[in-house]
Amino acid sequence: MKLRKELWFGFSLMAIIIVAVVAFMPWGGLIDGHLSKQDLGYLGMLMLALIVVAIMLGFPTAFTLMGMGVFFAWLAYRSVNPALAGQQVFDAMVHRTYGVMSNDVLIAIPLFLFMGYLVERAQLVDRLFRSLHLATSRLPGSLAVATIVTCAIFATATGIVGAVVTLMGLLAFPAMLKAGYNVKIAAGAVTAGGCLGILIPPSVLLIVYGATAGVSVVQLYAGAFFPGMMLASLYVGYIIVLAKWKPALMPPLTESEQRVPLPAFAQTLSQRGSNALAGTWRALTGSGAGVAKPAALGQLIVSLVPAIAIAALLGVTYRVTTAPVAEVSAAGLVGVLGGLAESAAEETEASTGVIGAPEADEEGVKEPGEEEKPEELSAAPAAEEEKLAETKPAETKPAVAVEAERLPAPAWFWVMLVIGSAAIVLIYWLWNWERLEVFKLLLTSFFPLALLILAVLGSIVFGLATPAEAAAVGAFGGFVLVAIYRFIGQWRASPPASRKVGTLILRTAKEFGGIIKESSFLTARTSAMVCWLFVGSGIFSAAFALLGGQDLVEKWVLSLNLTSVQFLILAQVIIFLLGWPLEWTEIIIIFMPIFIPLLPHFNVDPLFFGILVALNLQTAFLSPPVAMAAFYLKGVSPPHVTLNAIFAGMMPFMGWQIVAMVIFYTWPQLGLWLPSVLYGR
Amino acid sequence: MQKLLLFVDKISTFVGHAFSFLIVALTLHVAWEVFRRYALDSPRAWAFDVMIMFYGTLFMMAGAYTLAKNGHVRGDILYGFFRPRTQATIDLVLYIVFFLPGVLALTYAGYFYAAESWAIKESSNITSEGPPYYPFKTVIPVAGAFVLMQGIVEIIRCILCLKSGTWPSREEDVEEVDVEKLKEELHVKDEDIQKLDEYVVHKEPAK
Repeated sequence: MKLRKELWFGFSLMAIIIVAVVAFMPWGGLIDGHLSKQDLGYLGMLMLALIVVAIMLGFPTAFTLMGMGVFFAWLAYRSVNPALAGQQVFDAMVHRTYGVMSNDVLIAIPLFLFMGYLVERAQLVDRLFRSLHLATSRLPGSLAVATIVTCAIFATATGIVGAVVTLMGLLAFPAMLKAGYNVKIAAGAVTAGGCLGILIPPSVLLIVYGATAGVSVVQLYAGAFFPGMMLASLYVGYIIVLAKWKPALMPPLTESEQRVPLPAFAQTLSQRGSNALAGTWRALTGSGAGVAKPAALGQLIVSLVPAIAIAALLGVTYRVTTAPVAEVSAAGLVGVLGGLAESAAEETEASTGVIGAPEADEEGVKEPGEEEKPEELSAAPAAEEEKLAETKPAETKPAVAVEAERLPAPAWFWVMLVIGSAAIVLIYWLWNWERLEVFKLLLTSFFPLALLILAVLGSIVFGLATPAEAAAVGAFGGFVLVAIYRFIGQWRASPPASRKVGTLILRTAKEFGGIIKESSFLTARTSAMVCWLFVGSGIFSAAFALLGGQDLVEKWVLSLNLTSVQFLILAQVIIFLLGWPLEWTEIIIIFMPIFIPLLPHFNVDPLFFGILVALNLQTAFLSPPVAMAAFYLKGVSPPHVTLNAIFAGMMPFMGWQIVAMVIFYTWPQLGLWLPSVLYGR
Repeated sequence: MQKLLLFVDKISTFVGHAFSFLIVALTLHVAWEVFRRYALDSPRAWAFDVMIMFYGTLFMMAGAYTLAKNGHVRGDILYGFFRPRTQATIDLVLYIVFFLPGVLALTYAGYFYAAESWAIKESSNITSEGPPYYPFKTVIPVAGAFVLMQGIVEIIRCILCLKSGTWPSREEDVEEVDVEKLKEELHVKDEDIQKLDEYVVHKEPAK
């Protein structure tokens, strides 16, 4: 019976639209082929109404757009010159198609999709979740917090909502239920976290928006970074507060669950002191009983990684800030070197894999507040100057001569130095054996992924590579991650007695080939889906423009005399409503071209609008009854977890999404600050 | 009949699979180019043209494959609730009203577009002495033809479904979210999920 109701609702909606269309249709003009300008405008609106009906009927949208576009473009041309109409339609069609095929923004889509499919198949999500869970075990609601953080990182790298929600539904959801978490909160954390990937860059949604709205993807990425982080931290904050407030919903873990299992040598050593650094040092210098020296040396090196990372960060900052400003080429060179170091760090991670992910990622993780901001501030001019440097690469030699006359370091650098040193002291003060183990776990799961994302984002945002190039390098990083993690998987799976590196490599290679194949097929299919939609919407929007529908919309909206706030709210409500029957690809590709030309009238920055839309479309995944995320979770959850419980769990998170939109609206600097610093908007 | 349909499916799939490996080539090509630019300081002028061609060919040639796997995005709000016969009726009508004119126009126009490009042996307008572009433009009519062929197969499917009341089968392919496979990779068994129920049910009265 319920089905009937939905059908009735849909049909009556369609009927209303069609009746309106029939009533307003310029029938007389249609038949003799001579349409006035106003008639054509109405025809444009008719086309828009019909496309909504046709999409709701469920025919593949790309072809609906294409067919309708061809027909209406023909009508529009015919009213001008019937003789040429056919030829003009064909020309428009093929030119629009070729425009999509040679679009240098859309090219990043298949590459990011490929990277996502590869990372998804690298089998690292369970390590990621386990290590983050241990790392956050002391926080209230630790499992839910770990779920959100895992989702944020993993979804950012993959960008595939369905896969992330399913994986976390298999991994984190049972863990939370077993720990006695409230079903609704557990469901909400998984679904809301899984959707973060479409907002936090590098996301495909922002590329699609950039291509449709003509906004620089680079600036969109720089702009969406902090709002994305803000949304994730709102979720985490909400969970922590809720867990403190109502512990019954999220009971804290027991002592035994919090304990990190220690390896044998650590247990022997930990009996003689809880500080791991001192312990390994003692073991190494001779007095360690029953512990092999190479093992101890390895532990010591791992222990020193944070210190090395902080020192390296400080060193690079010193070099960049004290580089003489007058010598443009020298400053640029440092900028380039910094960038190279970044990509080189990625390469290191590639080659050494497990423990090789040290330096660069620290900046994002250990001291985000204190250290990252100055680093970005100082790197910004360097990135700009780098362009100049690229034009005269021959001037690399002066850099050496300049070494002698470095500028004095600014005061904030010394503050940073003190904070950095304090951080090192603090870290090693607290550096006990459990933390060492957690750190090792993080090093093999969290840091490689974070480094991959930061390297991709960093090279885009600092102008070292176009989004497409960065995506390709990211996909290459995906290759490497898959190879390494699958090899480790094989290594662990095989019994130690009969371990042969050769056969393991062979087996990994076989698996690797399969993964590449699968990922390529999926990439081809998904990018065909998105890009054919662009092909269809190309001719469709051409027809809409030819008919003058845009003018009519513009006149109508302007006649409403909205303030810019009212307009923004109206636009977001419309997008929110559209998010119910449509997918985000359709919303952005078909409807954004209608909104974007209106923005200048209301003094709205298209960049700002884009980030707002991206935040808004998060809710589209969570709003019942078509919330994709809920169905993916339902597919892997036990039968007594009802869809209603999942929906109820998603509601508070949807509320937080709206809060995030309000916050972003109130303080647009949150998103616009970084682009303005970097690109002088 | 079913055999013929599946055979065409196979052709589309084969073409799609073959061209999907362009993404690997594209990744390696771009990564290598970035490496050349920064590490070897010897970028190549035609690299960008090749990037564009790989990408354009990739998604155009995968169009028919995506159609064969029912992968083009649909507005799923009502469609899923319809009975197969209703679905087939809607699809059949819209294939004829929207799909055929649109794709025919694309293929027909693409043919002349490519022919003109061949006639002047067009090369890149981005770089001087750039690579030839006429093979790339040929992709439009070729991809259009494949999509058209697959579309005709889909039309026949609709008719078959109208007759029998059930959708004719399709070949399997990799799924974006393959739940069974993900379960296997995480070593989760269905029993485990079933077992979790006790945590849920147990808690209901407590609430």
